[in-house]
Amino acid sequence: MLRTGPSSGEIRNMSGEDIFSSRLKLLIIMAKAYLTGCPIGKYRKQAIIENSRCVFYHSLQLVNKMASSKDQGLKVQACTVFADDMHEEHIFYQRTLLLAVMAKALAQGRLKGYFREKALKENLNRIREAFIFNFNVKDVKCLKVA
Amino acid sequence: MSQVSIQNVKIAVVDGDLLVRDFVSTVLMYCVNRDVLSFDNGMAAWRYLEGADSPDIIISEVDVSGLNGFELLARFKEKHPAKKCLLMSSNPDDEKIARDSGADAFLAKPVSVTDLFRVVEAFVV
Repeated sequence: MLRTGPSSGEIRNMSGEDIFSSRLKLLIIMAKAYLTGCPIGKYRKQAIIENSRCVFYHSLQLVNKMASSKDQGLKVQACTVFADDMHEEHIFYQRTLLLAVMAKALAQGRLKGYFREKALKENLNRIREAFIFNFNVKDVKCLKVA
Repeated sequence: MSQVSIQNVKIAVVDGDLLVRDFVSTVLMYCVNRDVLSFDNGMAAWRYLEGADSPDIIISEVDVSGLNGFELLARFKEKHPAKKCLLMSSNPDDEKIARDSGADAFLAKPVSVTDLFRVVEAFVV
């Protein structure tokens, strides 16, 4: 029997954060696979669009939550380090929003041109600086066929 | 471990948690580039699985309403012994029962993207 996932001591229900983090990882893989030249078939396009939608709305919720915390003055008492952290977090979620938009565009065949692909690569690199996730698309055989 | 052809693979996901079910379905749909069936309870899944056009692989949460994952596994394996039944759970005690019941895989939660890719690599050519 194949066994995957955490060890028995770490097994638990999946939270909303687990789902968001996993969907973001999937979006990164989808974008990397596109940049690596992996083919995109009909259902793969559908999966990219669906995943982009989920990441977009979750990121938007987090951005709004941060904005409302700020409006309620929670940041007023905070030290500069905390303010910087909030700023970095805000930028991070803006980048995940952008990645979701870019991924949807690539699935719809609208992410054409050198500079758009360059922007996608740069955005992916910035996200991966904050969100450590190592994955080699070339290691996954099924992504090479559509 | 016997494998099924990616050209014809048909997968069903059973989980009462909409967020988990949709996530697992999206990863699998992307990975195999095929439509993926999904059910929110074991009885609805079984009604479909009984039919001639049943999936090659089912991935079911153990703790699901209607028929639980173990009951679904037993019925599915009795009807389609060559097909694959994989169980997901957030309860560590379920692993041994899954092994003893003849599950083809046990996916401990939280399930990651790489876990699901591993499943596809293991069961789908």
